[in-house]
Amino acid sequence: MKKTNILDVVSRKLSPFILLFGVYLVTFGHISPGGGFQGGVALASGLLLILLAQGPMVLASSFPIGRISVLEVLGYGLFLLAGLAGFLLGLGFLSPLLPPPGTIFILNIVIGAKVGAGITLICWHLFQEGEEQE
Amino acid sequence: MIRWFHFIVLSLLTFVLLSSLLVDREPLEQSKSYFLERGTRETGAVNLVTALYLAYRAYDTLGETIVLIGAVTGVLVLVGKHK
Repeated sequence: MKKTNILDVVSRKLSPFILLFGVYLVTFGHISPGGGFQGGVALASGLLLILLAQGPMVLASSFPIGRISVLEVLGYGLFLLAGLAGFLLGLGFLSPLLPPPGTIFILNIVIGAKVGAGITLICWHLFQEGEEQE
Repeated sequence: MIRWFHFIVLSLLTFVLLSSLLVDREPLEQSKSYFLERGTRETGAVNLVTALYLAYRAYDTLGETIVLIGAVTGVLVLVGKHK
């Protein structure tokens, strides 16, 4: 793929704002429209813009693929742990432990990180497979 | 013969699926007004969608994350690099 100046500049200027918007969607998920899943996909699209326009090396320098995989599994583990904590305290599985918006806020962040890591991993591997075939 | 059997089974299935439309709507209305009245107060989330999927139905959301982790695992098994 030929790399032009337009692609280079636009992707570098735009991706931080997409990532910021993703973080906003995740952290304000309990107040405004948005939430973990939507914000996670916005985060992943910010990373994928870097991946497509700058190449996998640039993305891997700041977001190593090993750590993204760990984040994917860690997000699921944390969600399960939040459920089991209420279960062990005798309140029931996934019952809220913190004062009202607290549990939802934390679960939103966990889901946002997990979904962002998952979508990024899927697209990363599919793009790599496509480039090998060419 | 077997075509008639398929036709009968399909029409019965259609009837069963569409019969859910005839059910009395009272329980649905009750849950809707319950969430509208107490959702924000009980969960602290102004966004009622978030209140539903992370407080009332958090167990369902746990299942959804399993679906995503299954999709990632499938992609890694099929196209990931085996070292």
